[in-house]
Amino acid sequence: MSDTLIWLFALPLTGAVATLLLPRQATALANVTAVATTAVAATLLHAVSRQGTLSYEIGGWSAGLGIALRADGLSTLLLMMTALVVLASSVYASAYFSKAAERARFWPLWLLLWTALNALLLSGDLFNLYVTLELLGLSAVALASLGGKLAAVQAALRYLLVGLLGSMMFLAGVSLVYAGYGTLDLSTLAHTVEAGPLAWTALALMTAGLLLKTALFPLHFWLPPAHASAPAPVSAVLSALVVKAAFYLVLRLWLDVFADLLTPAAARLLGVMGAAAILWGSWRALRTERLKLLAAYSTVAQLGYLFLFFPILLAMPPGPARDAALGGLVILALTHGFAKAGLFLAIGIIQQRCGHDRICELDGTAQRLPATTFAIALGGVALIGLPPSGAFLGKWQLIGGAFATGQWLWVLVIIAGSLLAAAYIFRVLGHAFGNRAYPQSTVTVAREEWPALVLTGTAVIGLGLAGAPVWQLLGSNA
Amino acid sequence: MLTAHWLYGITGCLVVALGLRTALLHALLLHRLIGINVMGAGVFLMLIAVAYRGPGVAPDPVPHALVLTGIVVAVSATALALALARRLTAEQDDE
Amino acid sequence: MTTSAMLILDILMVLSLLSLAAAALATSDARRSVILFMAFGLVLALAWARLQAPDVALAEAAIGAGLSGALLLAAVGDQPRRALTGDTKPVHHHDHSNLKLMLEWTVTLLCIAVAGALAWALAQAFERAPQATLAQAVSENLATSGVSNPVTAVLLNFRAYDTLLELAVLLTAVLGIFALGPARPGYRTAGPVFGGLVRWLVPVLILAAAYLLWVGAHAPGGAFQAGATLAAAGVVLRLAGQRTVGLPQGPTLHLVIAAGVGTFLLVGLSLLVLGRPFLGYPPAWAGGLILLIETAAMLAIAATLVLAFLGGRPQPPRVNVTGGKPPAASISTLRPRSREGLSGADVPGAESHKHFSEENRQC
Repeated sequence: MSDTLIWLFALPLTGAVATLLLPRQATALANVTAVATTAVAATLLHAVSRQGTLSYEIGGWSAGLGIALRADGLSTLLLMMTALVVLASSVYASAYFSKAAERARFWPLWLLLWTALNALLLSGDLFNLYVTLELLGLSAVALASLGGKLAAVQAALRYLLVGLLGSMMFLAGVSLVYAGYGTLDLSTLAHTVEAGPLAWTALALMTAGLLLKTALFPLHFWLPPAHASAPAPVSAVLSALVVKAAFYLVLRLWLDVFADLLTPAAARLLGVMGAAAILWGSWRALRTERLKLLAAYSTVAQLGYLFLFFPILLAMPPGPARDAALGGLVILALTHGFAKAGLFLAIGIIQQRCGHDRICELDGTAQRLPATTFAIALGGVALIGLPPSGAFLGKWQLIGGAFATGQWLWVLVIIAGSLLAAAYIFRVLGHAFGNRAYPQSTVTVAREEWPALVLTGTAVIGLGLAGAPVWQLLGSNA
Repeated sequence: MLTAHWLYGITGCLVVALGLRTALLHALLLHRLIGINVMGAGVFLMLIAVAYRGPGVAPDPVPHALVLTGIVVAVSATALALALARRLTAEQDDE
Repeated sequence: MTTSAMLILDILMVLSLLSLAAAALATSDARRSVILFMAFGLVLALAWARLQAPDVALAEAAIGAGLSGALLLAAVGDQPRRALTGDTKPVHHHDHSNLKLMLEWTVTLLCIAVAGALAWALAQAFERAPQATLAQAVSENLATSGVSNPVTAVLLNFRAYDTLLELAVLLTAVLGIFALGPARPGYRTAGPVFGGLVRWLVPVLILAAAYLLWVGAHAPGGAFQAGATLAAAGVVLRLAGQRTVGLPQGPTLHLVIAAGVGTFLLVGLSLLVLGRPFLGYPPAWAGGLILLIETAAMLAIAATLVLAFLGGRPQPPRVNVTGGKPPAASISTLRPRSREGLSGADVPGAESHKHFSEENRQC
């Protein structure tokens, strides 16, 4: 059963090689790989919910000498979200790229990106995490620059440089950890790490590198242009998954490995940056003229909510309240992943059909593309945090936790952020539902439209109404 | 605690700082790339210094393997960055 | 060497490293910066050799200094008038606003703080009892690993998963480079002296690569060093005006660049299906499997590094190319080919013609 850990990264990687060697059958191969990998992820989810954390020592070497893979509740949930989002986006991408040459270039890189995501979520070794981060960064950059337009290449280059800087800082931290503790295995380190300047500097460096990659304010400057200029399926995955992977690592390092070192001040710093991200990102989203930029700024804001959890989590002693708050964090992250991916896919359809993504000229979109507009509305509901979306559950936990730990200032930020989100979403919907006297009719392809609907529907209905298993699964967090 | 540890380790830290400064401040891509590569070299210095166990004693091979991997990853990233820059100039020449 | 002589060597080495790094980073001329960076890389290789890291020294000299330098120099050569070389923008902003100056000082202070924190943390790490646990584990398990070079054992056996992902990184980079456009225009065909040298040099490099691959099992060497040497042969061929630089065309090229990842997956998954752990080689077969993987990896690494030097998708050769027609050959290779379906029309012919007009490159 723990073999599934291997198949989770081996399948996409094999698919990448296959699509490279057989470009004419690439789309079919890629979709088959996507379905197979999603099935494996579902198997893993089932296994972890029954047996708890699964681990695998690659090569049979004990952890330390070799590299261990580990799947607990948190990583399994994220793996499942990754699989579903990539599957839906793959279906969309099959119809998005019209030229065979573009598709031949897209699929291998796309599957390599998925390999990187899965490998990162499964990894239990610090240096291995560095390599997966680099693989993730390079494939994301290569995908973001597909199409070769000036804006995309410029944004991709900046993304690459920022990513490299972040990776170097992460590696500096890893080398300090090895220098001091002689091991790179995460679970061994969790027991061995002691508070002191060594651990502090290592954690600070690794966190700084990861914050660059997760685009937390004020290190977010690279994200909006990169996500807005990339092709639609790429933007979906970048916003929903790639930045979340770096956030997952921050969470893992802070809560699992270096848990003993943390001080409320450090957590408060993250919280302040998160609060600034919420307010700044939402404000910029309100002011922007383009849909894709709006979605990108919204990502910056939503990541801020995730970081707001840190001061609250750390102020709670371990126990059911903290577990509930952690569950809220995870469900908020999952909801954002689904909703943002669906939103970008829907925006992609609008961009292709209308030729632009300017908000002011969206009139009549609801008449022309009703399913797509509905998907945007659903995604918007999840981003604002209205019930019954999973985001509502997450924000509820956040607000409850803030009151319980006496940090009620964050509540003001959450309310302001939600109001701003409502404002920018309703602005878009207001334009989209505007009536045009003679709307042009467009032909829509079902293959293009339903991925966005399914993703946003999951965010709003699936995670909201069926969110309870998330807490159960996290409870098996060893 | 060998002198070599101190010498090369601290040099590594200084080299990281030098590279970081250029990577952050310089306006031009090529210099920033060189800065990032120099940062990498500094981190490798730290790792290999840690691996060194003294004359006549076999060094710790794990950091050596890590640095080898790091060198290859760095050159891949540099190659992609340079290709992006070349494409960028081609697009800018068009405008 | 006596301790004091070693100490003097160490101090000299450290001083050269610091001054070369500082000089490479401080100069505003791009070409000078790259050459100083290459010198830094070579002294770094010497430092690795001194610190008893010969595998790393070989890789640093070949990849870190050699190929990185070649890539950077080729990039500098692309843009004689543009932003890369620093002619268009002044580097010293002292005549700019105070804000810029403050930013510079803040960042400099930040970097000094980072250096200080790193040094402090490193000192703490050195003061703890030296953690020999992993080195010990490696030497204990070396006998069953299939090789006797501990670094190769770590790279290809104990931490083979890292190497698999690293080969995937190489593949990603080259696919990204492919997607961005065609290769740089080639060089003029070499004259008799250089041509003669190349005819002698390339086979020697290929032999050296094969040797490094073979010897990596029990002495410093291995797939990465061998791959870099092969790539050097490719770069030399390119500089001599050879169009195909020894690379296969079309689908075979894809096979070669994916060979490393593909072989790793094949071996690992077969072992998994046969009931062993993923990449858990049976001790009797370990040596052979490692050599197999290393050979495929060497080819993939070499192809990737040469393609990186080429800067893009290699253009298929034209029929009438001989030594006497370099200008036509270079321009005509830039027109997008629609035959193979993979060289897309991202860069329209007219634009590339204008852009790559300086085609007669002298080596």
